[in-house]
Amino acid sequence: MPERTIEDKLREEYFELLPNIRRVMWQLEAEIRYYTLPILHSLKSYEQLVVKSRVKDCESALTTLSRNKMGKENEGRTFDPERPGEYSMLNLPDLAGVRVLVFPNSKLIEVDNALRDRFRSWTQKPVKNHRGEVLAPKYYGYCDEVSSSVRGEYQIVPMLLGLFWEVEHSAMYKYKKLARSKRMRKHRADVELALSRFEEGVESFVRDYTEPSSAIPKQTPKSE
Amino acid sequence: MKRDILKEAEYWYNFDRDIFYNRKAKKAFSLEFVDDNPEKEIRQRIEENTNGNGWTFYFNSPPSEGVKRELERVLG
Repeated sequence: MPERTIEDKLREEYFELLPNIRRVMWQLEAEIRYYTLPILHSLKSYEQLVVKSRVKDCESALTTLSRNKMGKENEGRTFDPERPGEYSMLNLPDLAGVRVLVFPNSKLIEVDNALRDRFRSWTQKPVKNHRGEVLAPKYYGYCDEVSSSVRGEYQIVPMLLGLFWEVEHSAMYKYKKLARSKRMRKHRADVELALSRFEEGVESFVRDYTEPSSAIPKQTPKSE
Repeated sequence: MKRDILKEAEYWYNFDRDIFYNRKAKKAFSLEFVDDNPEKEIRQRIEENTNGNGWTFYFNSPPSEGVKRELERVLG
């Protein structure tokens, strides 16, 4: 019988962990929905808050692991068969993930503040653009109620950017490093700028054309 | 541009391993090596004579024997 590869062993580990990964995802999603419910109920008609969750799929987890070596890029993206002990699915912080999409961008801070207290002990690792500006707060840590080994991750993302990333991720994930070329970085920066300008435009339009509450006459109850 | 130099010398890109390779020359460059070294160095390495019996890997950190074997298997 041929010897099992590191990939085979990691796949086995993944499927052993899968029930736990699912539990972490459900727990995280439920808590995030609970803590953001007051915001959801107070949204104006043009505002949006959408909570999405996912379990990282096995092959994607394998690809991520093969790309990292001690926190750095692993040249050649190949598992070293002489060092099988170096690899574990538990090294990944995002096996269970929740993404909160908000529109407009101003809702982002509100959602971040609503979740911060509950997840105070979690590690921050915000998503930044190539200029180092924070685009989306991101946190990872343990949901102790359901697992002490599988970490969960949540991020709060401007909706337009998040939807763009979904398409970009599925199209470019495999070409991640190449996607960092100067030309692709420029295309991505153009899209990000256009999307944030659109959001700013909507917000300023609403601000400019909404009657201030002080100008609305107070209704007095009719006397009988 | 460095990628044009590699393209002209008939190096293809392996998207799973992020390496540029030429089966005939039996040479492979990691993306990091290409990114971190000047054009002159890339040209020199492309033109450099190797014994041609086995693959030569141009990486910033030399790959282990196990990784070399695995890459040789993938590259054929």
